[in-house]
Amino acid sequence: MGRFLVIRLTQGMLVLAAMSFLIYALIGLMPGDPIDEMIAANPHLTSADAEALRQRYGLDLPITERYGNWAASALAGDLGYSRVHSVPVLEVLAPRLVNTLILVGSSVVLAVLLAIPIGVYAATHPYTRTDTAVNLMCFAGISIPPFWLALMLIILFAVILGWFPAGGMLTVGDGGLADRLSHMVLPVATLTLVTVGDYTRHVRAAVQEQIRQDYVRTARAKGLSQAAVVWRHTLRNALIPVVTVVALGFGNIFSGALITETMFAYLGTGKLIYDSILGNDFNTAMVALLFVTLMVLVGNFLADTLYVALDPRISFASRSA
Amino acid sequence: MSQPTRLIGTALGLFLGSAGLIAAQAEETLTVGISQFAPTLHPNIESASAKSFVIDMAHRRFTSFDADWQPVCLFCTELPTLENGLAVLETTPDGEDGIAVTFTIPPDAAWGDGTPATTRDVLFTWEAGRSEQSQFGNLQMYREIYDITVVDDKTFTIHRNRVTYRFDMINDLRVVPDHLERAIWEENPAEYPNRTLYVTDPTNPGLWFGPYRVTEVESGAYIVLEQNETWYGHPPYFDRIVVRTVENTAALEANLLSGSIDKIHGSPGLTIDQALAFADRHGDDYNIIFQEGLIYEHIDVNHDNPILADLRVRQALMYAADRQTMVEQLFGGYQRVAPTSISPLDWIYTDEIAQYDYDPDRAIALLEEAGFTDIRDGVRHHAETGERLSVDFMTTAGNRTRELVQQVLQSGWSDVGIEVVVSNQPARVFFGGTLSRREYTGLAMFAWLTSPENVPRTILHSEGIPTDENGWAGQNYMGFNDPRVDELIDTLEETLDPAEREPLWHELQRIYAEQLPALPLYHRADSYIMPLWLGGVVPTGHQYDTAQTVEYWHRTDR
Amino acid sequence: MSDLTLGPGHLSASPLTLRWRRFLEHRIAVLSGLVLLALVVVCFSAPLVEAWMGVDANRVNLLNRFAPPSAEHPLGTDDLGRDFLLRLLYGGQVSLIVGLAAALASAVIGTLIGVLAGYYGGWLDAALMRLTDGVIALPLLPFLIILAAIDLGKLPFVPEAWATGQDANLYRIVVIVSLFGWTTVARLVRGTALSVRQRDYVRAATALGAGNARIILVHILPNVASPIVVATTLSIGQIILLESVLSFLGLGIQPPTPSWGNILTNAQELIWNAPTLAIYPGLLIFITVIAFNFLGDGLQDALDPRSIAKR
Repeated sequence: MGRFLVIRLTQGMLVLAAMSFLIYALIGLMPGDPIDEMIAANPHLTSADAEALRQRYGLDLPITERYGNWAASALAGDLGYSRVHSVPVLEVLAPRLVNTLILVGSSVVLAVLLAIPIGVYAATHPYTRTDTAVNLMCFAGISIPPFWLALMLIILFAVILGWFPAGGMLTVGDGGLADRLSHMVLPVATLTLVTVGDYTRHVRAAVQEQIRQDYVRTARAKGLSQAAVVWRHTLRNALIPVVTVVALGFGNIFSGALITETMFAYLGTGKLIYDSILGNDFNTAMVALLFVTLMVLVGNFLADTLYVALDPRISFASRSA
Repeated sequence: MSQPTRLIGTALGLFLGSAGLIAAQAEETLTVGISQFAPTLHPNIESASAKSFVIDMAHRRFTSFDADWQPVCLFCTELPTLENGLAVLETTPDGEDGIAVTFTIPPDAAWGDGTPATTRDVLFTWEAGRSEQSQFGNLQMYREIYDITVVDDKTFTIHRNRVTYRFDMINDLRVVPDHLERAIWEENPAEYPNRTLYVTDPTNPGLWFGPYRVTEVESGAYIVLEQNETWYGHPPYFDRIVVRTVENTAALEANLLSGSIDKIHGSPGLTIDQALAFADRHGDDYNIIFQEGLIYEHIDVNHDNPILADLRVRQALMYAADRQTMVEQLFGGYQRVAPTSISPLDWIYTDEIAQYDYDPDRAIALLEEAGFTDIRDGVRHHAETGERLSVDFMTTAGNRTRELVQQVLQSGWSDVGIEVVVSNQPARVFFGGTLSRREYTGLAMFAWLTSPENVPRTILHSEGIPTDENGWAGQNYMGFNDPRVDELIDTLEETLDPAEREPLWHELQRIYAEQLPALPLYHRADSYIMPLWLGGVVPTGHQYDTAQTVEYWHRTDR
Repeated sequence: MSDLTLGPGHLSASPLTLRWRRFLEHRIAVLSGLVLLALVVVCFSAPLVEAWMGVDANRVNLLNRFAPPSAEHPLGTDDLGRDFLLRLLYGGQVSLIVGLAAALASAVIGTLIGVLAGYYGGWLDAALMRLTDGVIALPLLPFLIILAAIDLGKLPFVPEAWATGQDANLYRIVVIVSLFGWTTVARLVRGTALSVRQRDYVRAATALGAGNARIILVHILPNVASPIVVATTLSIGQIILLESVLSFLGLGIQPPTPSWGNILTNAQELIWNAPTLAIYPGLLIFITVIAFNFLGDGLQDALDPRSIAKR
């Protein structure tokens, strides 16, 4: 176990370091720098001013040198200021991460809570009408354009029915818990609807797989009821792929809610990354992207570890080989 | 890892902690929706229309243009003129022609924390603005003012080293409080943009002196403004104004319909197409104003492109573009075809210039004259060189209105045998690199937002052509170079008598229409969607927003 | 990490007809296949429809915007007075081409990398698999945004025609999607290649002097064909969906070239006045994506040897 951890951690650090350079270089490849933008906004900037500004931001150096400078100060704990928001990057990022965690966290929990009973039911009643209907719904969920779904929900529940607010995170001047919760309903619903299908399919497949296993047949032959068999013997094993799927998707959670966040004017990480990339906010984009990458790596690591922990048949030795 | 975790912890605390606060609802609140967020609130650093909208409610420029496009004093007592003696021609220490202009701050003006607004604030702003380390907008103005003499606490005289007809205006000198900001600036000028209180503590009352002051900022989501007790002017009606940002315009519209916001502001707000559609359905329930303005939509032409360098080709492009039908059908007639960059609403406008009414036959004749007689697969080729009459056409990707216009133009031009290859780019790339480094090869469509009687020095003067040598400064992205235009621009600026300027302006428009440095399309209109009970909102149509008269906004129903 | 779906080897043993019969049992998949076939035929016959109807799909007519359905325009006209049916058909062509091309390119890249890694093993395997891990760790959407904004013309390996011109955008999307999409196939192929290499008959073939190329072509590729087909089918739908998301962000296929994604995105602002402009492309994307998913599902059932045990 110890050796496994060390190997994985070293690998993770290496991947992260390589990624940071890749991200840096890619953002650097995007045409235009902040000074170009300042010139566009401020026609009276002279060439000397532009040059001075480029020097101040270190934009006159080659990209490898710039990356070196950036990495050195980042390792020293200085992640820099957001150019657009003029505050240290972490101050912009932290609240966004919390918001996204709340939004995506609740939708993942909700989706899993829905997926397990639905998936188990469908698996234990294969080839019935319900099973077919569940299957159809699952595919529908993963096949719908997310912004389209969001717009439909806004039109139906915010404009026509008026049950929930159309966007934002709170009513200015109110901001009570109930108010915040009512603002969460539609974005959480959107995210849940587009993920629940995938989870349900995994639960269904896993449970079906388990039911075919010999020890379940044995248990049933011994006279245990269907429900008891399912809960006692299959669910634990059936959870493995679900946990894996959730953990593997963990990192993309932070950037992947972009569409939902945009549609509902929800201040999350996905929107921040999008805005900072297109708004030439180098430091913010860099740190936010690295953080998301780190989370993906952590997610992968968790998936592997949980996989091993939940499934006694697999040993760490065989996994790390 | 420990630091981010701790930060997340505090942020979580904030999220839950503020949940209990519920403000009284009896007060009168106006919630305005816009589609962009103001990144920082410092009045002098980075300009964006979303930002000036918010700042103008809590801050005032010394001088500005009113809704009738006349210069006005907003933060001074009288507009200086040569006649009233507040402006005096003088000679600079270097022996150049200069002018001394005197302004007086309104006697009762005070920052929100009670500190009187004085000439010390002016001095500090000017010092910070003209310094080597400055990151303020309009450096040219700060440097043109080579000295300021303080008369007393409220009165000061600026000394300019150039005499232009705009000597009476210092729109971009937006005062910041000396008592709060000077120490921060002096400590580290280079880091000032990140450390100013406008960023670190924007709700500090001492930063604002307008009818309202900023009391709450949720970056990216909303800004709350409440009445400022130290305001010296007309008392505002609303207790509170909330400016909310919803970037997706379809969602913005849904927010209006669901009552989450009261009003959608003109710019940045809905697209005109969307506003027209909205007017169709809800015209009776809302007061919808389409304000035509100084937003000049046009197509920059790269004059280094040999095909487009031929005037006949540029003229053919104009004749083959049915701008009139486009404006009527796409924009409900609320936008007008632009003869040149000068708006028909500006007093310097003249219509005695070359006009390009839709005339495809004429376009074809011009193209044939230019040698493009050979038609293969519907595209013209040059009879001798065999060159294909094909040009690249760029604009900002994702801007639906521009994309619609682009397709209309493309369709019209292909009818006369001009092939147009569309290659659009995201705004950041388009404005941040392609335009400013002149990397587009053919046509580039975008807009200029200007003020009344604005001299297009950076746009049309040959010194404004961005090159590697001048660090890509300047906005003459076309590479247009006409000695007479350079001369006109130089003379115009220095001609103080409006009557003498008028013929110069007319000549400039004539040359523009004849030479077509860029292809004029139309002057854009902004749409203001307001509840029927809202009065006093007067759209200005230029870059100085209607929010500069926010104190007159009121409910008409009580 | 999660490449446990594969039980390699015994596929080549079962006859094709058996799988075909099993596929036919999956009724929704068969229906999906038929729907897709119909969509492809209809979309790619757009030029014929255009000629038959006697209208030009790109011809803007500002005097006939938002026209209701009529004999001349069966689905009415769009916001620029163009025939909406033809726009949808041409848009379908583009969306399907993007989906197919990017999925195929991903499959090719994935197969190549998988074979190299699995067959040759050693340091090459280690390096390629770390590369795969790295690519999987990339947050997809932000990277697509960055890549969509980069000027491809500045990269040395991109042909001139792909970087500029009307279709540059289409190529760009295909290229960047396949740069990210190959990992699934690479892992599938590597696993198979790894195990096939150890088989006795392969060792025998090697001993008899069969070249690497021959072994890869004859023994490895046939064994991985089925999972590749399944994975590719499933990814077509996802890519079509992804294109619509990129369009929503203003980074997808650029007008005037229509795609279902950009037609839908443009229509959302007009959702109140001209809802049909948004309903049809939304519905078409939905139907196509769901059909590809069902088809993939059916193929998996039919081709996966484990499903033999199922019934």
